[in-house]
Amino acid sequence: MEDHEILAKFHAPASRNLAFNQLVRKYQQKVYWHVRKMVIDHADADDLTQDVFVKVWKNLENFRQDAQLFTWIYRIATNECLSFLQSKRRRFFLPLNDVGAELAAKLEADPTLAGDEIELKLQRAILRLPDKQRLVFNLRYYDEMPYEQMAEVTGTSVGALKASYHHAARKIEEYITKADNPGGAN
Amino acid sequence: MQTPFRLDAHPRRGPQPLSSPPAGYFEQLPTRIMAQVAAPARRPGLAGLWQAPGYLRTGLASTLLLGTFAASLWLGGAQQAAPAASLYAVPRAQLVEYLTSGETPVDMLDLAELPTHQLGLTARYLQPSATELTEALDAQPTEEAGLL
Repeated sequence: MEDHEILAKFHAPASRNLAFNQLVRKYQQKVYWHVRKMVIDHADADDLTQDVFVKVWKNLENFRQDAQLFTWIYRIATNECLSFLQSKRRRFFLPLNDVGAELAAKLEADPTLAGDEIELKLQRAILRLPDKQRLVFNLRYYDEMPYEQMAEVTGTSVGALKASYHHAARKIEEYITKADNPGGAN
Repeated sequence: MQTPFRLDAHPRRGPQPLSSPPAGYFEQLPTRIMAQVAAPARRPGLAGLWQAPGYLRTGLASTLLLGTFAASLWLGGAQQAAPAASLYAVPRAQLVEYLTSGETPVDMLDLAELPTHQLGLTARYLQPSATELTEALDAQPTEEAGLL
């Protein structure tokens, strides 16, 4: 079902629940994986995904349609992820890399990455990026999101996003190169 | 010679690089979410008051506050009336005995009731004219007279 049809049905009280159910089914996987790539753990991703859709339910009536529906949902999901990670860091009262260590430990435990050393190194390298830069990297590298749409999701300019992705890619390459060659120089 | 890692050269795993969620997760997720968003609508109750317009909440709060104040005044008045009412129930002889005994007894003369029909007795003495007052005051020696 097209987004405008979902929105029209949602505004009618009699069909609101049905419309929202269809909206969830349409976007749940994209939202879940967007969140999961940021928080790594399935249980956390599950909680956040539900939180995202609850917020969508509460605010959909006021959605002004000045952006695409999915962009708007993605923006909510992005903010939920960043808030979650930020509150996790504050709760720990520890240096930033301790939360990173927790995420890395969950990564190491992921069965899909077991036995795939290069992929595991790549995921470790991505995890070392600052949260917002990691978000940009995921959106571009995995979701292949156009920079213009990414700008709407993140509220950042296209130029800044391109620069952020470029730097993220270079950091990842350097990290993996050094990990593959721990001895040092060329 | 170290081989630099090139991200472009690395085969992308697809949009889902991590392990899949449990089987049936996406079939059940919409139901779980609908249970959350539909639940608050089924229980209006007092929680619905938070959704009420501001002016309505203000009015309700003010009514509650005034009602509490009025109730406390009424209850306080009733309590004050109670001791007086109970005092009237005490026999006169018992009251007199209580007041005239103890460490600081009250004298019987203090308890005497004035004859009410004599209250008009002073009426003619308490209506002097201005001239009478002046003459009475002039006749009184002042403290300063001794300094002259």
